[in-house]
Amino acid sequence: MVDDIVPLILLKEGEEGIIHSVSGGRGFISRLASMGLTFRMRVKVLRNIGGPLIITSNGTRVAIGRGQSQKIFVKRLTAARKKAELT
Amino acid sequence: MAGKEFLVALAGQPNVGKSTIFNILTGLSQHVGNWPGKTVEKKEGFYVADGSRIKIVDLPGSYSLTAYSEEEKISRDFIINERPDAIVLIANASALERSLYLLAELLLLKVPVIVALNMMDVAEQQGVRIDVGLLEKYLGVPVIPMVASKNKGIRALVSAILSLPRWQKEYVPSLADISDDHKDMFTELSDILEEHISPPYLARWTITKIMEGDPDITNKISQTIPPDSWSRVQAILREHEDSLLAVVRGRYDWIEGAVKTAISEFRKGQVFFTDRLDDILTRPIFGLPILLGVLAFIFLLTYGLGLPLQQVFESMMNSLASRVEPLLSQSTLLRGIIVDGLIGGAGTVMTFIPVLFFFFTAMAFLEDVGYMARAAFIMDRFMHVIGLHGKSFLPFCLGFGCNVPAVMGARILESGKTRFLTIFLTPFVPCTAKLAVVTLVAAAVFGKQAFLISWALVTGNILILGFSGIIVKKLFFKKDRTPFIMELPFYHKPNPRTIGIVVWKRITVFVKKAGTVIVIFSVLLWLLSHMPGGEIDESILGFIGQSIEPLGRPIGLDWKMIVALLSSVIAKENSIAALGVLYGVGEEGIRGILPNVMSHASALSFLVILMQFIPCVATLVVMKQEMGNWRWFLSSFLFMLFLSYLSGFAVYQFALMAGI
Repeated sequence: MVDDIVPLILLKEGEEGIIHSVSGGRGFISRLASMGLTFRMRVKVLRNIGGPLIITSNGTRVAIGRGQSQKIFVKRLTAARKKAELT
Repeated sequence: MAGKEFLVALAGQPNVGKSTIFNILTGLSQHVGNWPGKTVEKKEGFYVADGSRIKIVDLPGSYSLTAYSEEEKISRDFIINERPDAIVLIANASALERSLYLLAELLLLKVPVIVALNMMDVAEQQGVRIDVGLLEKYLGVPVIPMVASKNKGIRALVSAILSLPRWQKEYVPSLADISDDHKDMFTELSDILEEHISPPYLARWTITKIMEGDPDITNKISQTIPPDSWSRVQAILREHEDSLLAVVRGRYDWIEGAVKTAISEFRKGQVFFTDRLDDILTRPIFGLPILLGVLAFIFLLTYGLGLPLQQVFESMMNSLASRVEPLLSQSTLLRGIIVDGLIGGAGTVMTFIPVLFFFFTAMAFLEDVGYMARAAFIMDRFMHVIGLHGKSFLPFCLGFGCNVPAVMGARILESGKTRFLTIFLTPFVPCTAKLAVVTLVAAAVFGKQAFLISWALVTGNILILGFSGIIVKKLFFKKDRTPFIMELPFYHKPNPRTIGIVVWKRITVFVKKAGTVIVIFSVLLWLLSHMPGGEIDESILGFIGQSIEPLGRPIGLDWKMIVALLSSVIAKENSIAALGVLYGVGEEGIRGILPNVMSHASALSFLVILMQFIPCVATLVVMKQEMGNWRWFLSSFLFMLFLSYLSGFAVYQFALMAGI
């Protein structure tokens, strides 16, 4: 199966993904990295119904604007792949 | 070892309990000022133990040490230039990865670091167990487990600072490396740069910063090294555009190592209290009504408890005035200055303290338990429309109490433009003093409809705030998108000490302004309104009012109302006193006389203008100080003048046509 890489904003509530890349300025990338949002990190979308998203990663929860979440690309974790990751 | 002096910097990301620890350590020795030339708060204080004195400087909260925010630049410049004896890094044990990121950056600066591993209890609750000994060994720095909210670990932290001279010699921290694929790049850069980097800058740190693309350091280095070397550096940087990622990756490899070594048990997926609460509070269908309910409750509480107390304060001021008055009977000038200017002007302002106290306590409580971040989240979608940030919501809320701390509260906004726009719009939030005037005048003139009128005025102001935001954004910040990234801290039990200190700070700001700026201007106003004729209609102010009366005609104001408006600039509630004096009835008779001298249309116009008029001097002074720029300040000043005149005109003409 081809890797399903999508901008974070396309994840539905409850879905998880692994950050693949972040586009945007160095300031933006550094800021995200310092909050624990950098590539290879696992994120879960808690809230995505218009307005900013709420995501959580490693015990930190962050509200992030819709514009910004279009610049973060994640590998979507499907239920099957989640299982595969665990084993 | 007695009698030693230590300089210690306190660093830590937001929401790790840094201010709690700072407050415990420094207590009443705290001094709050500004970093030189900046609008960023500088807090310092002392801790004295065993004859040694530890000077503690609280570095402004920052997630990392980039040059992209003013706070972070201040923090790193302080460490580089002042070279404190030690840095205490406060880490959040329940989100260790993130806290270690800042540590990775700090260690490169070669100042001894002590890690204060705070919130151990929260980590435990979440099933995160940290082996402190192993973590210490991996990092190569002292690690002190703490629960600052319960005062645990403070003593251990202090003794770690005091024993610094002993362990400093063997201090060898482990450092994060650049990821493997970019090590060659690092070596190439250091071959060129090393000889040109001189203290206080350190080679490894500087080169890492250049790889990160740090604009500040890159610029500094480009000016100190020979042009041909610089062009070689640039060529290397161009070749490796992803060098920032290599630095970040290296740090996270290092962090992962620490986590693997020290965190022994990690249960995932448990439903925390925060999850449950957030499920409701951040869902717009529930979150918005709840937010409005919470705010309504706060206002009821504030006015229910605060107003009776305010009346007590008022009668105290009056009795003070009547007691002082006979002592000054020889000199009208002195009597005027002290009784009318000082007690009447600044004293009245002071009577707002009870209302502000309850209001600020409620706000600080909501901030401390973590609710305000959710409120900002809920409001972001609306704030976005007017070019603002969810975070602007907090200063606006404070504005309902008093605009002075609200303008200062805009500091929580990182982007300069959003901060400016928030300050620009804050005066449209009606403060307690404005509301007091509105309630009084509306009740006198409109009787039973007063409540409706007051409600419409407040709503109108909020709408105007919104529209002004849209207009200013369209005109000046077209391209500027306001990025929104905000941490939502875990909900936790309120800490009375933290709340107390926040309330104390906000009230003292208000009192200081009232005690200085307002006293001076109250006295000045008294002089202007009594010189040279002795009575207000023969005074300079009266003269000004009379000479600009033609301006008042289209908006339905006679010169007395104009003068009342002008005097509202000293402090909003002054306009009541001025009306009382001008119509010759004193403050008590004002309710009786107003319906006879103000038509409904004029009263409406007067109130609308008052609501949008330039704020009081105290607010103006803080606005100028926080905007730091005359052009912005003046444009905001003129904008308010123009807008209030325009709305007054519209309302008056409409009221006349509608026959109100």
